[in-house]
Amino acid sequence: MIVVENLVKAFGRHREVHAVDGVAFTAPDRAITGLLGPNGAGKTTLLRMLSTLMIPDSGSARIEGHDVVNERFAVRRRIGVLSDARGLYPRLTARENIRYYGALQGLAAAALEARIDELVNALGIADIADRRTQGFSQGERMKVAIARALVHDPQTILLDEPTNGLDIMSTRALRTLLRDLRASGKCLLFSSHVMQEVTALCDSIVILGHGRIVATGTAAELVAQSGESVLEDAFVRLLGSGEGLAA
Amino acid sequence: MIAPTESAPARVAVVAKKEIVDIFRDRRTMLVTLVTAIVAGPVLMLLVLNLIARQSDKVRELVLPVVGIERAPALKAFLERQQLSLTPAPENFEAGIRSGELDVVLEVDAAFAEDVAQGKPGTVRLAYDRSRDRARAAIAEVEALLRAFNREWGRGRLILRGIAPEVANPLNVESRDLATPQSSGALVLFLIAFYGLFAAVMGGMAAALDTTAGERERMSLEPLLTTPIGPFELATGKWLAVSLLNATAVLLTLTGFYLTLRFAPLPAVGIPFLFGLAELGRFVVALVPLILLMPAILLYVGCRGRTFKEAQSNLSVLLFAISLLPIVQMFLQRKDPAWLTWIPVSGQYSLLSRALRGEALPWFELLQSYMVPALLTVVALSAVGRLFSRESVLAGK
Repeated sequence: MIVVENLVKAFGRHREVHAVDGVAFTAPDRAITGLLGPNGAGKTTLLRMLSTLMIPDSGSARIEGHDVVNERFAVRRRIGVLSDARGLYPRLTARENIRYYGALQGLAAAALEARIDELVNALGIADIADRRTQGFSQGERMKVAIARALVHDPQTILLDEPTNGLDIMSTRALRTLLRDLRASGKCLLFSSHVMQEVTALCDSIVILGHGRIVATGTAAELVAQSGESVLEDAFVRLLGSGEGLAA
Repeated sequence: MIAPTESAPARVAVVAKKEIVDIFRDRRTMLVTLVTAIVAGPVLMLLVLNLIARQSDKVRELVLPVVGIERAPALKAFLERQQLSLTPAPENFEAGIRSGELDVVLEVDAAFAEDVAQGKPGTVRLAYDRSRDRARAAIAEVEALLRAFNREWGRGRLILRGIAPEVANPLNVESRDLATPQSSGALVLFLIAFYGLFAAVMGGMAAALDTTAGERERMSLEPLLTTPIGPFELATGKWLAVSLLNATAVLLTLTGFYLTLRFAPLPAVGIPFLFGLAELGRFVVALVPLILLMPAILLYVGCRGRTFKEAQSNLSVLLFAISLLPIVQMFLQRKDPAWLTWIPVSGQYSLLSRALRGEALPWFELLQSYMVPALLTVVALSAVGRLFSRESVLAGK
């Protein structure tokens, strides 16, 4: 479970760019929470604070009861992060890339190898697992990055625009995986600027605009709230401008 | 095969192990390291040794082009007695000297016989280009022979007048050359010391940049920082891996020199075997501080670069300054001031020179030369750790 309270993060010399400005929400276990917003709405900054990469200016966030600032290493053991940056080591094989993260997470050898096999099979990358990742396709890279993020079987999973650059087949495979993870009781937080993605997957949606929460609720609730008939129109209306279309 | 990593040392070991695999699989890095380390040094040394050998051969079979030697038959006879073969110089010998075809040409003045008959000094002219290294030995040889002829002629005249030649030579100069056999091949020595330093400074460069700026450029740093690895553990692990590569490069370079001098068919240049296993060992002992310090500095510079290219251009300034130090030191020539031992690179260079002169390394100075690098290594590593914990490190390309 993720509990976010009044998170604030500003950038720039005089802290004049308010990337995240008083955001508060709760993402429960056994659910996929969607973070929807146009580019520059503060999604990546918010996820970076939750994954302990950035320190909030004020406010707090707790993941499974651990504070993301004061207990960052406890948090890091409990989260799996598929960040916007998902670079692999091109000279290591897929399996070695995954093993590196597993070893850093403190998995013992036998358990780690078993877990890697499990993930390799679940993600359908057995045929490329022992190849160096240099020259992998976008979809193959994404799968390795996901396996790497999930190697320690984290309870909380943060995904930043996971479908970026993926084809339809890979996107579908990813959706299935995320649903499976939800079914096993995980807490998933998923950011996207694509409404179809969010409607297809998420149990509840948090709409971000200019670093603030514009609306929260299920897809149906958001549509009802805005008085529009489809989510895309609801999204644009809730943001109060046409900028959702530019996303 | 991977131990559980619930402790900081275990995590450091995981990082170091991964980086070592990564580095040694990088063909570009390995090629650059191996070529500069093993091949370039010994090949350069062979060239230098051959050059020295050619110079000494030249002196032995000196052919001296002459103009108007028939005007000075006594000089001609003297030079021929000294095993010089005299040939008539070509018309345009000055051009020949400029182009490097001729080393030195002797010209006897047209009025030589006349001047001598009148009791005036006879004039001979030497034409040469002293800026050409290869000609220097021949120039010195001819000058020395002319001085000797001058002396002999003068003695003869004094004896004819019934004066003991010693009257005109009140000073008797006896010199003892204290150079050990080792210190005579100064250029070769400098080359080995320089390359040893070079390997210690450059050996880890490509790998250090790849693992820092390269990691940022490939966007693999951000996900790595969401794992339980601490920033200082990450810095230490990477430093260990790069240091290992650096040590390998230094060992290979020195072994290359050792093998070249030991087994290559070297021309006989009067330099006895000067780089044995004892010297190799002393070199390693003297270079340890640099082997450990340079990777830390390189990692720091690499971390500041968002891309490999950016880091590389930041580095070139630093490396230029470092490589200048021993060259400046060589040109100073005087005895090194005592404080120099404290300065990284310079301190190591003077220790290496002593090792090459066949001296044992003085313990106190060795300890001195370790202290500043050790301190700087810790400072640089903590700076790398601080950079890894900064938010700005996430900014990619």
